[in-house]
Amino acid sequence: MSDALILSAGIWLSLALLALSFLVTVCRVVAGPTLADRVVALDMLVGIAIGFIAVIAIKTGFTLYIDVAIALGLVGFLATVAFARFILSRGTADEEGEPENAARPRPGHRSGSGKRSKMAHGGKQ
Amino acid sequence: MSLVLTLVTVLLLVAGGAFALVASIGLIRLPDVFTRMHAASKAGTVGSGLLLLAAGLHSGDLSTFSRALAGFLFFILTAPISAHLLARAAHKVGYRLHASTVVDHLRRDNP
Amino acid sequence: MTAFSMNVLFAVVWVAVSGSATFLNFLFGFVVSALAIGLVREQAQGVSYLRRIGLILSLVLLFFRELALSAWKVAVLVTRPKLEARPGIFAFPLTVDRDFEITLLANLITLTPGTLSVDVSEDRRTLYVHAVDCSDIEGARRDIRDGFERKIMEAFR
Repeated sequence: MSDALILSAGIWLSLALLALSFLVTVCRVVAGPTLADRVVALDMLVGIAIGFIAVIAIKTGFTLYIDVAIALGLVGFLATVAFARFILSRGTADEEGEPENAARPRPGHRSGSGKRSKMAHGGKQ
Repeated sequence: MSLVLTLVTVLLLVAGGAFALVASIGLIRLPDVFTRMHAASKAGTVGSGLLLLAAGLHSGDLSTFSRALAGFLFFILTAPISAHLLARAAHKVGYRLHASTVVDHLRRDNP
Repeated sequence: MTAFSMNVLFAVVWVAVSGSATFLNFLFGFVVSALAIGLVREQAQGVSYLRRIGLILSLVLLFFRELALSAWKVAVLVTRPKLEARPGIFAFPLTVDRDFEITLLANLITLTPGTLSVDVSEDRRTLYVHAVDCSDIEGARRDIRDGFERKIMEAFR
């Protein structure tokens, strides 16, 4: 009896933690200033979803859920790889203006900034 | 024996959830894409991996456990690859590092 | 590596002959054939196969310890009320030169505390590593060189 009680308490605590982290990560997906931030957050969301599936496998007792989790992990990995290729082939880093907190390109502040802006314009042509 | 198994499962469950939460807090708090990748690729992988291990352990069945273990190893293998690809693409395309960044040898060596 | 594929082949044969295709039986077949191959190898050319397996196992153990430590470090870094990260990308001169070893080293580095491999130079001499704490670059380089790189050299050379 106490066994089942401890287990269900652990399951609920774990589900609560996962739900909270899901919410926080969704905030980053919505807020994320650049595409790369959003891709990292989406990758993280897949990880959290896998965790959810594993906890639900324990809760319901269907071990088949573990295979579902592995399949989801494969799909998430492929999606992240495809997104990385997309970022690379798009060739520009510009999003909606400056990334937050980023170093502003002041004249003479950093040698690389001039080259970067040239690159961003070159990608648009 | 069954009590010990349950306790270990609960410990893995709570630790996995806590690591997932820590990873997502890191995603929010850390300053730029590269440092955020640190949080997602380490704490995130360990979090979901621990939860999978808990699921395998709870089933008490060796074939299920070995499947869960295989899934865990699969995540550990793929997480660094996707983080590496993303970081490489982001740096090559010219995403800026945060202002507190101290050195950037990659930019220095590939002007 | 041919010894390893032979080992896997022997284990598969063992599973086929004994007629029960479970993971545990495969593992048992693997261990038995590793012992057999180690025994024969010792006689034939003195290359210790068993010792190599031991070295690879110690690499795996080191990796899991570092993984746990790294998740813990991220947790500490993130939950501290004031973020004091000094991130940066430093160059790490590679001693290993085969593709397989570079891949392994890069993956291991990504999952260890505070480091993330970003790129490999065209001539495969340098690995670019992003670190959360870049205040001691020489120390970080020394850790990688004396830790994973040395272990990889020991296990696969």
